[in-house]
Amino acid sequence: MEPRIKELKFSFSRIKKSPLSLVGLFLILFFVIIAVLAPELAPPKYPHNPYRIPRYGYSAIPRPPSPEHPFGLTEGQYDIYYGVIWGTRTAFRIGFIVVGSILVIGIVLGSISGYYGGIVDEIIMRVVDTFMSLPTLVLAMALVTALGRSLDNVMKALIIVGWPSYARLIRGDILTVREEGYVEAARAVGCSDLRVILKHVLPNAIYPLLIMASLDIGAMVLTAAALSFLGLGAPVGYADWGQMVSFARNWIVGPPDNPLAYWYTITIPGLFILFFVLGWNLLGDAFRDILDPKLRRR
Amino acid sequence: MNLRNYIIRRILLVIPVLFGVSIIIFVILSLFSPEQRAAAFITDVKQLRNIKSVIKTYHLDAPLYLQYFYWLKEVLHGNLGWSRTASRPVLEALFYFLPNTVELGLFSIVPIVLIGIWLGSASAVHQNRFIDHLSRTIAIIGWSLPTFWFGLLLLMIFYGYFKGLFPPEALSTSTSLYVHSPNFVRFTHINTIDALLNWKGSVLLDALRHLVLPVITLTVVQCALVMRIMRSSMLEALGKGYVTTARAKGADEKTVIKKHVKRNAMIPVITVSGYLFAGLMNGVVITETIFNRKGLGWWWWRAAVQLDIPAILGAVLFNGILFVLTNLVVDLLYAYFDPRVRLG
Amino acid sequence: MNSYLLNVQDLKTNFYTYEGVVKALDGINFKIEEGKTLGLVGETGCGKSVTVLSILRLILPPGKIEEGKVIFKTDEKRVDLLTQTEVFMRKIRGNEISIIFQEPSSALNPVYSINDQVSESFLLHRKEELCKKVIEEIEADIQKNPFFLKKAVYQIEEKIYRKMLKDPDAILLRLLSKVPILRRYQHRLKKQAKRETIRLLRKLGIPNPEGVVNRYPHELSGGMQQRIVIAMALACNPKLLIADEPTSNLDVTIQAQILDLIREIRKRLDSSILFITHDLGVVAEMCDYVAVMYAGNICEMAPTRRLFKNPLHPYTVALMRSLPELGKKRLESIKGNVPNLINPPSGCRFHPRCSKAMKICSKEKPETVEVEKEHFVACHIYPQDNK
Repeated sequence: MEPRIKELKFSFSRIKKSPLSLVGLFLILFFVIIAVLAPELAPPKYPHNPYRIPRYGYSAIPRPPSPEHPFGLTEGQYDIYYGVIWGTRTAFRIGFIVVGSILVIGIVLGSISGYYGGIVDEIIMRVVDTFMSLPTLVLAMALVTALGRSLDNVMKALIIVGWPSYARLIRGDILTVREEGYVEAARAVGCSDLRVILKHVLPNAIYPLLIMASLDIGAMVLTAAALSFLGLGAPVGYADWGQMVSFARNWIVGPPDNPLAYWYTITIPGLFILFFVLGWNLLGDAFRDILDPKLRRR
Repeated sequence: MNLRNYIIRRILLVIPVLFGVSIIIFVILSLFSPEQRAAAFITDVKQLRNIKSVIKTYHLDAPLYLQYFYWLKEVLHGNLGWSRTASRPVLEALFYFLPNTVELGLFSIVPIVLIGIWLGSASAVHQNRFIDHLSRTIAIIGWSLPTFWFGLLLLMIFYGYFKGLFPPEALSTSTSLYVHSPNFVRFTHINTIDALLNWKGSVLLDALRHLVLPVITLTVVQCALVMRIMRSSMLEALGKGYVTTARAKGADEKTVIKKHVKRNAMIPVITVSGYLFAGLMNGVVITETIFNRKGLGWWWWRAAVQLDIPAILGAVLFNGILFVLTNLVVDLLYAYFDPRVRLG
Repeated sequence: MNSYLLNVQDLKTNFYTYEGVVKALDGINFKIEEGKTLGLVGETGCGKSVTVLSILRLILPPGKIEEGKVIFKTDEKRVDLLTQTEVFMRKIRGNEISIIFQEPSSALNPVYSINDQVSESFLLHRKEELCKKVIEEIEADIQKNPFFLKKAVYQIEEKIYRKMLKDPDAILLRLLSKVPILRRYQHRLKKQAKRETIRLLRKLGIPNPEGVVNRYPHELSGGMQQRIVIAMALACNPKLLIADEPTSNLDVTIQAQILDLIREIRKRLDSSILFITHDLGVVAEMCDYVAVMYAGNICEMAPTRRLFKNPLHPYTVALMRSLPELGKKRLESIKGNVPNLINPPSGCRFHPRCSKAMKICSKEKPETVEVEKEHFVACHIYPQDNK
């Protein structure tokens, strides 16, 4: 146990020393705080459905930021401030649920494929190949069209589209580790197969998985936002960042004397998306630099 | 030489994957009811009355596995259904919208690859110096950018604030009228190439002006990927033994980098190119939608929103075939660059 | 004194790493005479490879050659390699001093054919000779009185190559080499280089050189790869050949073949060899002189016979004792571990493991003393004034 604790401490010290990973960590923490404190920061108008953004009128013309509405009102008089605060919760929901699911599905299927080999392996890998030869957005679009337009279906579609890369990764790791000396040694000493996988394969495979997962949280939120933006995801008026950007589409260019008049409709929700994804990407990159055993001790 | 066997084997592998794609499409298709699917083949609202006969013609009430073969037969004959949003058969619509997308794609791929490789390589060679930090910052921000947001932002600044400097759509109205008139011959339907072939500078300029923002939008996001892969593979190659050997032979640093390091570093980049195309396709959908460029992506978006099922499935099919072919080309390129693969 | 080809004086090299400054070379001294072989022995991590790279100034950041002199005798005069320009060094590398590396599979570039890699040595350093041969070839071709278009092409080619002979860095040539189609003018040069390569491989006893030359490194066995690496090093008849553990990664049988090859080279070319190894057996076979290295210092240096007969430094003694012998019941090891070079032991770096350590050993670094003719030791047992 001792060396593990020492390695963990070393990892933390490395995190502390790398400025980019600290930035990533702070960004994520910032969003976590917002998400947790959402009810305090933006008290819901509809207690049964806090994700419904309150409207302050029905006019289509957005209104600039003011003391009552710190980020202004977007098309249809939806409160931008409310939308981005609760949108944080939506983003975390999407990120965690989707990535969590594809991790589990990917690991299970990948392990089965890599471990048992044979025809099971062939079938699963063909499926993986096929999924990986289609662009995520287009496939997700098709699935959402078939399943119906809602945020839950978007998440389902992303899960269906997302697990193949993890399955392939774990399968690859199992195949390589299977040939490694220490697995043979473990088997020679009498370890059962499950024990070999759990104790030897997974701990080595977990790092690239973690890295991929943290990068994917950002990617999934981006794709979900894109789908909501295109009108295929969250319904109108739902607190979702992508959905809010779609409000801004008609207000890109303001009146001729003030073309940037409606900047807040697009800039603010967009910045939230950007920094959220940036935070996860920085964290994922930092993980990669820190956890890769070859790069650790430069 | 084993290169030939490798090529043959690789080409043969295309078939099962294409099968897989067709199965996926069929699975999605089967999520819809027979009536909905019959509606895919209807070109005119009046035919709705005869929907039962349509169902019978296309065997949409047969057991699923049989349906698959009937459907496959139709597909192989080119009958992909009728697209409501395009007002023409799906296959025809694919060819109709293709040129605009090809134009956008071509003008984007070149800068993505060139800039990505150049910046990634410079980043690795001058590790931890200014250019490295700059490129990595651009890369990570680019990778985190929501494409749709970035495009809209660009529009806001360069079309709104700078009063129409780089406008959306593919061509301005006047040029568009000219291009469709008998004075202009549309050889390829790709605006820029046709403009060159017709030797009409004004059309070329107009088309290019309309390309600037969409290309920037697409390039920034994808460039980030290429840059990062190139950088990390260059760093790895720089640490290899043969680099020391080359230096010990007396080669100058520029030759070492260009000849020995780069060639090896390109290999992972080629592998990644497959993902690059996927990302490009995703980006194309969003970019064409934002900038109102009537290409494949724009059509598919409208189809998704308006539940034009044959069009969507046509999208999946098109992408499937495109990617199978792209991956084939990538794998063959890979074998050319890395002799070790040819034995496999 | 003046027949020394290489004279390393007080060489110090440091590596500035994340965890501290690794003092890899702590002021090493040795000399190599012309035509002789010096073996450099030591455990893994004692600094042998760093020495090799330092001599040719191939140390890259975070490493830095701090001080010292590396005096090498080129054709005209003696120069200190550490003070020369990079351009000068590039003329030396692969030309007058070559390295044979340890792992042939990683020393060879996997994406280029054998021909490309060995020819590179010729193209880098023997361009003049190749040019002359090409010009002869072109003149012969013109004599054959070919079709007039072809003749014109040949005449242009001749002009280009004459220019290359006179002024290899001419702007015109550089421009030409950047344009894809016109680059073909280098075709003849490369063909000549290929011929030289095949000739070289044949001289080294590599079977079927014409076939091997078109292969890629991964298609060859380990022993063959190492022969190619040796070929690359020998291409320009170097005065000093540095072999950095050339056989450590090979089977014993292949090892014997490679050593035979090196012995032949030594006979035929009369070059000096710096032979790095951790195998005392190989040293006994191949080397005229031996230097024993420990933790960045040379502890002892002597003609081979004398070292084996009369090892003076405690480390050398311990090394000899640890060699397995018929009849020995137990393998003797040296107690302790190789020191961490970030915080090396004070004074003599071997003192924590030395059975003969005295008080002064932990305080002062011992001076190198010539105890008998050509036999040098750095140990407090043999102090300066005790000659």
